[in-house]
This record gives sequence, structure tokens and C-alpha cells, in this order.
Amino acid sequence: MAVRKNPRKKKTTLFLWVSLLPAILILGGFILLFVWGFYQSLTDLRFGRARVDFEGLRNYDYLFGRSRFWDSIRATAVYAFTAVAFEAAIGLALAKLFNSGVVLARWFRPAILLPLVLPPLSVALMWTTMMNPETGVLNYFLSFVGIEGFTWTSKANSAMFAVVFIDVWTFTPFFALIVFAGLRGISPEIIEGARINGAKAWGIFWRIELPMILPYILLAALFRLIDSLNQFDIIFGTTQGGPGNATDVLSVSAYFTAFQNLYFGRGAAMMVVNWLMVLISAIFVVRLWQYARNRVS
Amino acid sequence: MLRILALTSLSVAIAGSTALADEFDWRKYEGAEITWAYDIHPYADAVVAHLDEFEEMTGIKVTPELYPDDTYWGKLNIQLSTGSPDWDIVGTGIQPAWDVTPAGQLAPLKGLLADPSMTNPDYDYDDFFPALTRAWTWDIAEEEIIDTADGEVWGIPHAFENMQLMYRTDILDRLGVEVPNTLPGLTEACKAIRAADPNITPMAVRGVRFWSSIHTAPISIAQSYGFSDFVTTGDGIDTALDTPESIRFHRDYVDMIQNCAPDSWANDNWYQVVDGLSTGKTAMAVDANMFGFWNNIEGASDASGKIAFAPPPTSPDNPEYASNIWIWSLAINNASENKGAAWYFIQWATSKEMNIRGATAGKLVNPSRSSAWQAQEWIDYANQPEFNNFYDTFNAVQEKTRLLFTPRYGFGTAMNAWAVAMQDMVGGADIEERLSELSEEIREELN
Repeated sequence: MAVRKNPRKKKTTLFLWVSLLPAILILGGFILLFVWGFYQSLTDLRFGRARVDFEGLRNYDYLFGRSRFWDSIRATAVYAFTAVAFEAAIGLALAKLFNSGVVLARWFRPAILLPLVLPPLSVALMWTTMMNPETGVLNYFLSFVGIEGFTWTSKANSAMFAVVFIDVWTFTPFFALIVFAGLRGISPEIIEGARINGAKAWGIFWRIELPMILPYILLAALFRLIDSLNQFDIIFGTTQGGPGNATDVLSVSAYFTAFQNLYFGRGAAMMVVNWLMVLISAIFVVRLWQYARNRVS
Repeated sequence: MLRILALTSLSVAIAGSTALADEFDWRKYEGAEITWAYDIHPYADAVVAHLDEFEEMTGIKVTPELYPDDTYWGKLNIQLSTGSPDWDIVGTGIQPAWDVTPAGQLAPLKGLLADPSMTNPDYDYDDFFPALTRAWTWDIAEEEIIDTADGEVWGIPHAFENMQLMYRTDILDRLGVEVPNTLPGLTEACKAIRAADPNITPMAVRGVRFWSSIHTAPISIAQSYGFSDFVTTGDGIDTALDTPESIRFHRDYVDMIQNCAPDSWANDNWYQVVDGLSTGKTAMAVDANMFGFWNNIEGASDASGKIAFAPPPTSPDNPEYASNIWIWSLAINNASENKGAAWYFIQWATSKEMNIRGATAGKLVNPSRSSAWQAQEWIDYANQPEFNNFYDTFNAVQEKTRLLFTPRYGFGTAMNAWAVAMQDMVGGADIEERLSELSEEIREELN
């Protein structure tokens, strides 16, 4: 017996494919660009030179043999993980404050979102001016508590602290916003019930709120970690990777290698390594997020 | 009789030349539309101010695309390396051009200069300072710059900077400090300034981790210590940065930075250097001389009339100073589809007339043509009291001014590494060890 095809179902399937086509094309475009970038990392492409030869893993071999490259990996990891850890802690504290019902906190809630809407390069330039050791306003304020001539971005031993500080200032509101949404999602009955059963404020936070908002914290951490591991604007706009190589994270180092020193293939290899760092970190955080979410549900 | 003969032949020559100039067809590319890309800079302002005259004379429509310095160089690299024909004329310098000419990204100009149907007989290419035209002359091979006086011409000097010591006369007079002429002398002067007025930063130079920090003070002062960036060996070149002369220079230079420069030195580009001088926060600076000139213009800043000039400092045992140059120039994108019209624009923008007009407007300083420096208009303008000793110091320093970097493809890599190493040394790294490490890095790239 012949099976009759349902023309309506066929039409729906076609409609679905046509609807999805733009998304597939865009995704394909992204993948193609990535593949092209990876291919370039396997070549000796240099700006200003007509010939390009395929060199296999030579760029990677070159990078892995250089201590400066490993210094860049270390700087990238220190920058990203420190910034995200501070943003999580301060963002959580701010979210708790916003959720507390304190009138002043409610008023200030829109104001703290301000750094998020500023372009990172403008943020970097603004902080560079304020962090000037001799003319900056920060050292003026520090002088009131007896701290004179803090070097901020100008010396190798304080530059990493300074750029992490800027990242924390800029992106903590993002953390606070996400965690605040998580806190608002907790049913008031659960908190009330715990209170009736004699739980103290710290106990409620530690045993009820924190586990319930942990997936939110990890979600924010995931987004921030991806961004911080790729951070370019803040560092380039303040230290350009210096002094020396103190803040020479992979993205900045790759920029100098590709666009200043013209070794584009080598710069592309650095960005592939940067991508791998992001991928591994993201997989780790996603696993943590899945674990935290399963525990809550 | 001889005078009459001479005058007659001069008149004939002038008449002949004028006749030829009159015959030059400025409207050959009438209707063409070209794009000129440049930095946002007073040199660009000097051209923009008269652009309508060029359009009227030639019938060529010019669209200027001007970008902030930080953006411009990145865009220029991308435009040229992708072979985009969007920009017909580009503003550039010699050092970036070394990196793009081997792949044929700039159009050769020698043929155009020699072609009377393309170049106005009044143009007078030989009128440019020889140090400037010589610096723009080289041949190319694959990944190689062949430095030869008979080589191809890749760009036309628009205006240029030479490196000098600039100082605030009011501050040095008030504190009773003499203008230093050696590097250790500069350090001692800084100590005296700090002791007399701790609120004044004694000295500013660029410190960012980019080759532009090397091209002002270090490469100029290094010459009197007896070394430069590279040394020629039997079969090529080798870095000179780990030689005893270099080690000695770096000890003095690092000591100078530590005693003279502001704490922000590692982040200081020319903006900060100039700002310090113009606001009176800084007493001295080694940088491009025209920054002192522009700030001396009446009403331009509080520093007007207070900045004076001196040659760059030297080694204590060799008074022979040297000064490096940066030449803002106009070149043709080899991918341009309007090379003829582009060349017309370049010869107009770099003509004798435009050179002197830009200079006497206080924009095109230093003008690139020697005739401009001999013109009474410019002499009168540049010798106004507010410019102090600008004119005389220029004339003295210009004799010792030349491009001090070794022409080579991949110039930026080694010089950027030098700037990073300088930051490390000023930050406390062992000088000999760091220079040795730097030299190994450069040698690896050379091989």
C-alpha cells in the first residue's frame, strides 16, 4: 500500500528550513572565519610580503619555545581569573544590598549600571588620566590617607593590579544585575519559612540563598570569563601590555605581533591559543553551572 | 657686460621655465575623483585650507579622509595590505613604508618625476632637503630594502620633524639651571630642578612600548655614544644593542629617565610630553621640534614665547650631536585606479607655493623645501620673538639631521622590542643582561 505524503507537513518542513537559513548562513560565516583564521595560523603570512607559505605547526612551535609567550598566558589567566573573582564577590554584595529593600540602595541601583554602558576604550582613557601618578585624582585622594605616589599603570609591580581594578569597576554591575535577578527569583515563602524555624540571616544566606543563586553567579562568571580572557580595550588603552611585558595578555600581544610587527600568521596562532584558553575555561564553568543547577532542582 | 649676460640668460631661463609651466596641462585629469587619507594633523590642515583652489585649477575632486593618529596607522596597514583602491593618496612616513614597499603596495614615483608631461617643470624636486629625498629612495627585493641613492622614489616629503631638546626658559631661568648639552649633564640638571622645585617634572620623553619612543631621544643620542640600531657585517647586518657603547649609553639613559622623567613615563606618548611642556609642568623635553614651535605661537598656549630649543644631548666625551627625522610624506597607493590624478594632487600639495603658505600659516612646520627656509616671508615669520631661537637652532641641527634607523623590512619588530626592553631596564632589570636578551631576540628575527 502506497504511503501518501502529507503536503501540509512538507510545506511546514520547507518553511522551517527557509526560516532557519539566515541563521545557518550566519553561523556558517562565523565558522568559516574561524577556520580561515586557524588556517592563517599555519602559514607564514606577513603584511607587506606577497608570498604566503603553509608551515604547519611552526608558529605554534615558535611560540611554545618562548618564555615571553608563557608570560602572556600567565598574564591572561591572572587578569581574567582575578577580575572575575573580585567581580563575583563585590557583585554578590551589591546584589544583596539591592535586594535588602534599603531605600538608598534602590535609588543607587540605576547609577551603578553606568560603567556598563561606557565603551571600554573610553573607560580605559578615563582611568589612565585618573591614575596618572603625578596629576591623577586617585593619588590626590590617596594622599589623605598617607599614601603618596602610587604608581598604578606606570610600574610593572602595580600595573596588573591597576588594569584588574578597572575591569572590576566596569563589569561588577553586570554581575550584580544577574545575581540580583537570581535573588529576586527566590520565593519569599522559603526565606520566611526558614526564619520561622529560627534560621539567622547568615544561615539563610549561606544555606538557602547562595546555593539557589549559584547557577546565576556561574552564568555571570561564564560570560565575564569569556570577555576577560579576550580583554583588549582596557589593557591596550592603559598600558598597551607594559610596562615591560607586565600586562602583555594574549590579545594585546597578538595585536602587536600581527599589526605592529606584521607577523600575521604568528599573531593568528596566539589568538587560536587564546581561543583554546577561553574554550577550556568555559567548559569548566559550564560543568560547574550544570552541577549547581542540578543541586538546586 | 658679464652682469648683463648673466641677467639676460637668467631672464631667458625664467621665461622659458614659465612658458613650460604655462604649457603644463593641469586639467589633464579633469573630472577624476580621488581620496586622500591622512592623520588629523596641522600638516593636513595646511592642505585642506586650500583644497578648493586645487579642485578649481585641475577639475579633480578630492575627498579628504582624516583619522586620529592611533586609528590611522591601523587603517593604513589594512587598506594597503588588502589591495583596496579606496585611498588614492596616503600620508605616511618612511619607517612604515619600509614594511609595505617590498610587496608593491606603494606606487613608484621616479618615472612620474622624470616625465615632463606628468610633472610641472616648476616642481623642482631637487629643492627638497637632500636628507629627506635620500631617505625616501631605495630599491626593493623580496622582503628586502636595498638602500641606494639611485633607487626608486616612494614618497614625497610633505613636512618633517627633527629631534631637539626643548626647554621652558621661564622655569630654567627661575631655578638658575643651565641648558645641558650632555646626557649625564641632563641628569644633573634634572636633579638640580627637583631639588629647587619638586613640583616641576624636570624632563619628559616618550616611554610607550612602541618604536616611536626610540625614534626621538634614544636613537639620536646613541649616535654620539658610537652606535646605532644595526651594524653592517660581512654578509649582512647585526644588532648593535649589546655592544659596550650601547651598554654605556643605556646606563646613562636609564639613569636619566629614573632621575628626570615623571612616574608616568612608561605610558607617556607625545601627547603627554607636549602637554607637560605647554602647561609648564615639565621643564625640558627631547622630542620633535615643531611641538615647541606650535606652542610658541601667540595665543596657542600659556607657553607661548617660553619654549626655546637646543640640539639633542650627547655623550660626555663626544660633542658631535645627531638628530633623527620623521618625515610626513605623501605617497600613492599602488592599488589606486587614479594614479595620474593622485600624482597631480601630490605635486600641488608639496609644491614650493604650498610649502611656504603652510609654513607661514604656522601649520607646515618644518617645511620640507630648502627654498622655504630661504624665503624672506618664512624667515620673518619664524624669527618673531615668540619663537625664540627656533630658526637658528633648526639651521644648526638640520646639518646633523638624517634618518638614523637602518632601512629594512620588518623595521618595527626590532625597534618595538627595544622599547619594551627600555621599559624593563628603567623598571630595574639588569641593563647588560636585558640588552643581551634583546639582542638575541633581534638576531633570531634576522636569521
